[in-house]
Amino acid sequence: MRLGRFVFALTLLTSLAIPLSAASIVVEVRDPQGAPLPNAVVYAVPDGKEMAASSRLAVMDQKDKTFVPHVLPVQVGTAVKFPNSDDIQHQVYSFSPAKTFQLPLYKGTPANPIVFTTPGVVTLGCNIHDKMNGYIVILETPFFEKSEESGRVEIRSLQPGKYTVHVWHPDMAHEPPSQNVTVSESERLDLTFSVTAAPAALTSAPLNKLEDKFKKYGNGRP
Amino acid sequence: MAGRSFQAKLLYLLIGVLILLQTVTLAAIHFAGSHSLQRNLTLELRVGSRVFERILANRGRQLSDSVRVLAGDFGFREAIASRDRPTITSVLGNHGSRIDADAVFLVGLNGVVTADTVQKSLVGKKFPFPSLIATAEQMGEVSSIASLDGRPYQLVIVPVLAPRALAWVCMGFQIDENVLREFQRVTGLDISLSAGGDASRPLLISTLQPKLQPDLLRLFGRTRETADAEEISLKLGGAPYETLIERLRTGDRSRITTVIQRSLEEARRPYRTLELQIVVFSTLAVVLAIVVTMFFAQGVIRPLHRLAENAERIERGDYSAAVEIEQDDEIGQLATAFNRMRTGIAEREDQIIHQATHDGLTGLPNRTLFLDRLDHAIAAARRSGDSVGIIMMDLDRFKEINDTLGHQFGDQLLTEIGRRLTQSLRESDTVARLGGDEFGVSFNAREPDHAVDVARRIGASLDPAFILGGVSIDVDASMGIAIFPLHADDAGSLMKRADIAMYEAKKNHTAIALYEAGRDEHSVRRLSLLSELRQAIQRDELQLHYQPSIDMRTGRVAYAEALVRWNHPTHGRMNPDEFIPLAEQSGTIGALTKWVLRNATAECSEWMRRGMPLTVAVNLSVLDLFDSELPIYISGLLAEVGLPASNLVLEITESAIMRDPAHALKILRELKARGIRLSVDDFGTGYSSLAHLKRLPVDELKIDKSFVINLTSQSTDDAVIVRSTIELGHNMGLTVIAEGVETIESLDILKRLGCDMGQGYYMSPPLPADKFVRWIAESRWGIPTLKLEGV
Repeated sequence: MRLGRFVFALTLLTSLAIPLSAASIVVEVRDPQGAPLPNAVVYAVPDGKEMAASSRLAVMDQKDKTFVPHVLPVQVGTAVKFPNSDDIQHQVYSFSPAKTFQLPLYKGTPANPIVFTTPGVVTLGCNIHDKMNGYIVILETPFFEKSEESGRVEIRSLQPGKYTVHVWHPDMAHEPPSQNVTVSESERLDLTFSVTAAPAALTSAPLNKLEDKFKKYGNGRP
Repeated sequence: MAGRSFQAKLLYLLIGVLILLQTVTLAAIHFAGSHSLQRNLTLELRVGSRVFERILANRGRQLSDSVRVLAGDFGFREAIASRDRPTITSVLGNHGSRIDADAVFLVGLNGVVTADTVQKSLVGKKFPFPSLIATAEQMGEVSSIASLDGRPYQLVIVPVLAPRALAWVCMGFQIDENVLREFQRVTGLDISLSAGGDASRPLLISTLQPKLQPDLLRLFGRTRETADAEEISLKLGGAPYETLIERLRTGDRSRITTVIQRSLEEARRPYRTLELQIVVFSTLAVVLAIVVTMFFAQGVIRPLHRLAENAERIERGDYSAAVEIEQDDEIGQLATAFNRMRTGIAEREDQIIHQATHDGLTGLPNRTLFLDRLDHAIAAARRSGDSVGIIMMDLDRFKEINDTLGHQFGDQLLTEIGRRLTQSLRESDTVARLGGDEFGVSFNAREPDHAVDVARRIGASLDPAFILGGVSIDVDASMGIAIFPLHADDAGSLMKRADIAMYEAKKNHTAIALYEAGRDEHSVRRLSLLSELRQAIQRDELQLHYQPSIDMRTGRVAYAEALVRWNHPTHGRMNPDEFIPLAEQSGTIGALTKWVLRNATAECSEWMRRGMPLTVAVNLSVLDLFDSELPIYISGLLAEVGLPASNLVLEITESAIMRDPAHALKILRELKARGIRLSVDDFGTGYSSLAHLKRLPVDELKIDKSFVINLTSQSTDDAVIVRSTIELGHNMGLTVIAEGVETIESLDILKRLGCDMGQGYYMSPPLPADKFVRWIAESRWGIPTLKLEGV
């Protein structure tokens, strides 16, 4: 949970207004075999700069008994809504130290979003659907991006300067070493991170065999 | 006793066979049982081992499920997430107790124990089974056996998910006696588990009785360093246990050994029960066999016993009792056959006895039975003082009847006679056929007269003529009577004397004769000869031979001495020396002499008519000299045959005259008076005195041949005697005749001595009449002028 050490840099927020002169970092996230990894959160922390907290609103939806998105990176201070798009109730909880909370069984969207003020990773679960899990990654920097299927991430609009680039992935065994980079104006840096997967037992919820069976019967006989 | 032996044999045989059979069966069952038991035990133990594995695996799975459910409990997860160790420890205890976990650990993802429920807390230390955590990381969860604190545990490790793994929760379930008992319930096998425990005191969890456990531990101590699996036989508390020792697969490589055991005795119990049942049934079978055999044997033995008893009675000659065995089987048949045999033997014995004691022809008792009954009658009479009379009867002329009418007729006649005899007598009297035509009768005789009456009655019964096959025949019989105790003291003597009396009767033609005590007894041969001689005389069966005497002066035959010959049908030619004394003794001599006189004079008379003027010489017996009527008889005879008295010479022996000289002299004088010449025969042997000789009215002397035969030898004494005799005879005016002239020398000497006549083999032996006539015609001493008629 070194993510908690991210430094919030307010200066970066001001430079966002000057896009033409901004630099960018392109990061390739791969597994040790070289396959692209989606759902990896890449973030760059500017050295020696405190970033202002965000007051933005983010949404962690629940559709088809999954959290959508599976991984939601937010800046510290972001309020996250937990609408329920399923026609069944969910009981969303988190035992993570970054934010421990429970949303008793509900349908629709609870009135008050939850504001995440502590950097870290909040692991979301549903008490009645063990398979459901999702992650909210609370970062102290606004320079982050989540990888898609290509495993490619581009962090744009960076002010020239020194940055420490981190990668986080829900299935990683440990965080790969961060990389210190210095970006110049209009420069584009290419970085590659290799992420080793942790044992599945530790990262993913166990298969609920019984529920599996229900599913199967629900879709018709195999 | 033979019966008991048979029964015993049968019993021994049957019981022997049964016991042998059952022993073999038992042994076969025993060995087959042991073999199959051994195999079954091995199999059972191996199956048991797999069952135990399966039980543990099932238990592990169940525990895993339980633990996983528990670990998914929201409250549990919430408590774990609280990071408050006391809370965590208490929730571990609380939730662990829900599923009876004996130890619960919470292990951080870094492998360090964060909370536990064990006494000596491991918090802050590395979890002791890191390999299990590694497996759980791979598999999502793990269930394994491991030693904890020296005790065997089933450990289940699952992650606490929220929903991502927060930590590992590990629950331990002791493998205790309850688990083992369940195994025992399922398999019926004993199982023991030995975990490391302390080196000095290994821990043992076992279903065995506590008292057996030390034995196992001790024995186990010796075998614990063996291979993964070993099958041995152990003794626990003295009883054998088939034992399979295996190492349990543990997650932590700790040494936990399972010992699966089966008590051999218990395993054998069904076999033992079976064997015991067989022994019981066998014993029952043997007892039943004994009872049945004895019953059966008795059924055989009792009748056999009765048969044996009966056979002994038959052996003693008792045929009266039949064996009564009413059985339909072979024994019954045997009894029936036995009875038939018994009656058969009795009948045959009766028949044999009858044949042995009876005459086959007439059916009358035979000599043996007659003697036997006579013995008994005499013995009885001796006691009671009675008398026993017997009659011996012989048929007259039976041989003649047999010869003329055939044996068959003779047999019929004998049978008929037997019948008449039986009819004429009382029942108590015995009539027997003693052989041939001889019958015997015995009866109680009070006195001799009574016996004679019986004989008369018998005689009367034979009087009516026998008419057999159209032939009528009269039968006469001679009977001799003897009476006990008057005539003899025993049966043999009595019969002999009755026989004598019978001969007497025959001789005298008296039909019946009573034995006279003191009478001279003759031998049977003599008696029979006597009877036969009498018959021979009657039937003219005798012959006369003639021996010539030569007149020395003329050289011609002058005398012919008539010598009687008897050609006996069975004894052949009888010597006169043998039968004449018999005739003299029996009184038959008179008849014989008369027969000789009649025939000789008749022959001589014939010769005279044929031109042979001879004198015939006839020998007289001494007894003849007592017959006063002899001279008259001879005179009548001579007249009858027409022979002059001078042509008859009667020769009397010197000894005969000497016996009663006075009486002899009287007869001789009468004969002499009738013109008959008399001659002294065998002169020189009788020591007769010259004085006597001088008084005798004899005409001739015949010198005994014993002197004459030796005349030519060196013995001069005989010559002297001969000469003296001749001179003496001449001096007394007697004609002297020499007998025994066998050589010409003798003849010459005699001639020289002046002997008047000579007789002997030199001239001729005695010849039958016809040959004698031929001799006269042909001999130089004969009559040359004689012309033989028809020769």
